[in-house]
Amino acid sequence: MMTTEITRPERTTTAGRWYLDRAGLDDLVAALAADGRTVIGPTVADGAIVYDEIRASADMPHGVGDVQVAGRYRLTKRDDARVFGYVVGPTSWKRWVFPPTIELNTGRRAGHRVEFAPIRPRPERLAFIGVRACEIAAFGVQDRVLDAGPFRDADYAARRASAFIVAVQCTTAETTCFCTSMGTGPEVESGFDLALTELDEGFLLDVGSPAGQQLVEGPLAKAIRPATPVEVYTAAADVAATRARIGDPLPTAGLHDRLLAQLDNPRWAQIAERCITCGNCTLACPTCFCTSVVQKTDMEGIGATNERSWDSCFSPGFARVAGGSFRSRPRDRYRQWLTHKFGTWWDQFGTAGCVGCGRCITWCPVGIDVREELMAIAPPIALSPEPTRVEPVAASFDDFVVAQVVATRLETADTVTLTLSGADPAFSKGSLGQFAMVSIPGFPPLPISISRFTVDGIELTIRGAGPATRAMCALKVGDQLGLRGPLGNNWPIDRAVGRDLVIVTGGIGLAPLRPVIHALAADRRRFGDVRLYYGARTPADILYREEMERWASRGGIEVHLTVDRAGPEWEGRVGVVTQLFDQAQWEGANAIAFVCGPERMMQATANTLAGRGVTTSRIYVTLERHMECGIGLCGHCQMGRFFVCRDGPVFSLEQLGDTFGREGI
Amino acid sequence: MGDTAALVAALNATWFGSGLPPDAQTRLADMGRLETYPTGTELLTEGEVCEEVGVVIAGRMALRTLVPERGMVTILTIEPGDIWGWSAIVPPYRGTSTVVTIEPVTSVVFEGAALRIALREDPHLAQVLYPRILVAVSRRLAASRLQLLDLFARDATGGS
Ligand code: FES
Repeated sequence: MMTTEITRPERTTTAGRWYLDRAGLDDLVAALAADGRTVIGPTVADGAIVYDEIRASADMPHGVGDVQVAGRYRLTKRDDARVFGYVVGPTSWKRWVFPPTIELNTGRRAGHRVEFAPIRPRPERLAFIGVRACEIAAFGVQDRVLDAGPFRDADYAARRASAFIVAVQCTTAETTCFCTSMGTGPEVESGFDLALTELDEGFLLDVGSPAGQQLVEGPLAKAIRPATPVEVYTAAADVAATRARIGDPLPTAGLHDRLLAQLDNPRWAQIAERCITCGNCTLACPTCFCTSVVQKTDMEGIGATNERSWDSCFSPGFARVAGGSFRSRPRDRYRQWLTHKFGTWWDQFGTAGCVGCGRCITWCPVGIDVREELMAIAPPIALSPEPTRVEPVAASFDDFVVAQVVATRLETADTVTLTLSGADPAFSKGSLGQFAMVSIPGFPPLPISISRFTVDGIELTIRGAGPATRAMCALKVGDQLGLRGPLGNNWPIDRAVGRDLVIVTGGIGLAPLRPVIHALAADRRRFGDVRLYYGARTPADILYREEMERWASRGGIEVHLTVDRAGPEWEGRVGVVTQLFDQAQWEGANAIAFVCGPERMMQATANTLAGRGVTTSRIYVTLERHMECGIGLCGHCQMGRFFVCRDGPVFSLEQLGDTFGREGI
Repeated sequence: MGDTAALVAALNATWFGSGLPPDAQTRLADMGRLETYPTGTELLTEGEVCEEVGVVIAGRMALRTLVPERGMVTILTIEPGDIWGWSAIVPPYRGTSTVVTIEPVTSVVFEGAALRIALREDPHLAQVLYPRILVAVSRRLAASRLQLLDLFARDATGGS
């Protein structure tokens, strides 16, 4: 993650930081050229900033600015002589590390024989001047796509490795910039050899690699002097101002899941009415990597050169097979592009495919703004607490933070809810479904689900089933206990947006789902029908009775209760929880299910849900295992390929596969 | 005998009775009657001869059994679509639990003896009805097993 702390100490020290005046830019270009490199930098061409070969700083823009909004781009005249007083233009460095067309190989037919001869890359040594933070991030994305898998693009790798990178901190931003949302900028923090921050008459110069250091100590030594504190502070302040100008980041937490849950959103068809599938966005994008190979045949038709050229998932023929195209409609192609960039790219490459440079917004001829579309199709869930994962506190085995009991509530004869406060603020920011390791000296620490997040603490609902839990239940207001956490993963509530949600729980299994229900009730209209099926042992064992009545009466949640056994005075249902819905009227195809209870009950529930048409990838269960460390170090909670504490406790049935419910795992 | 059309409609509205072939529906409707019972009506007593079979159309009833030292215990509640009194078609035709309405209940009711004769003499009716009875009974059996495990007695904390 990028940090926003531009004023932290090492950023404002002057040690090892240099000043290069504007004329010194020529020394830089000359030094790079003398090193045998082709120097690429910004130039003005056809009314735009275009990255192209430069021989002197005079080839670069001076006093040029830009205005960018969705679908429009214009260069302006600045009233200063700045060389980097604009943001990114239509070209990206992709053009140089992953050229629009390269020759791959030649093939010949000679009688019955065929011959192929690869055309090996002959990389020029390159130097890039003026690489922005989002563009460095784009190199990172391309590296993962083209140079990290089991198969690598040797041509890309060679070009990329040869390039010397002179980064530029952004001291200006346009309306299309959203690097802050993607966590890629505006601060350049790594991935460069030298970095410039433009000041009124020159540049603050930072060194980022041994190659950069060599330049500073050698050919550039005469052109630079140590930077003054004022220069260092001005540079930092200008970049901070850029961040402020870009404004609030988009709520991207859970975007992957939010987006992939919306494959049937009607908005796709609406966008397609505007999108002309020209593919400009993919060409301008610094990370789009799709290509096609074309054969250039010689005159006699026996030899051919294979060329690889950029292609676009917006091309009509891109997904064509003999029987037709898999994505024949524009809406399919737009959905493919957007869900890949912000969704499935994560699954394939562990990162988003977007770096927030805004090119696709500016260069879309009809002005489609991805930010707007994303927020319309996959809007954030206004959940309290925030669904972003917080760093746990007291994350090592032996460390606990202390919290105080400020209220206790007897839920049933053997179950108590403790309201805790004074713990680290991380706890109240935990995610729905997380747990805490709870310790009272003298007893083994135990994992306890967080049953509510409050402004300054959490609630734990504990059933006194053994010595440690009984000691916890016996705590009084004012008593303290030790906590580590919040730990584990969370219920994927993002995936439930726009779907029906079925919650099936038994016994104390309702506790980890209670925060989910609170969150749902707070943002009820974002979800389809919500049904809670809860089974308890006897009527006296029902948890959160009054709250449940409120969920039903005011929360818009269907609540169905049953108990395993009851006396004649009980007029509610008796029977197992699956009987509450095995013959119900609703359709499971659009539903997602959260299940928590004893494992045997979850199995029966999962079978019944599957029988009702809920797919296994949308049935989530929480597993309970013996836990000691809670952080994947002690091995106690291992289950198949998972540590339940670290990878769970929430899993989809699909993830668990046939290990779920199997004896002896 | 009640109104045949109303009876067919009532049966059709339940999972147990919906989708039966028309001739089976008519046959059942001819044999059945629609009854309503106020809360607290005991329709069948554990151990006694079971003379009627019913399909719940609306409301809820409890199946209870007497447990020494614990008194009457409700072991299951049944709801629309569920059947009660199926012991009337299985020897020895004695109730396995006491059936009491805990809400006002509407039910289609059949005389056990008449239904037994119909099932014996009308293979077509038997062919469509027995699988449904089997589903209803096995569903109850599966649930009872889970209940028997008393899962919530030792859940969640592993006894620590
Ligand atoms: S509790 Fe230690 S590895 Fe999970």
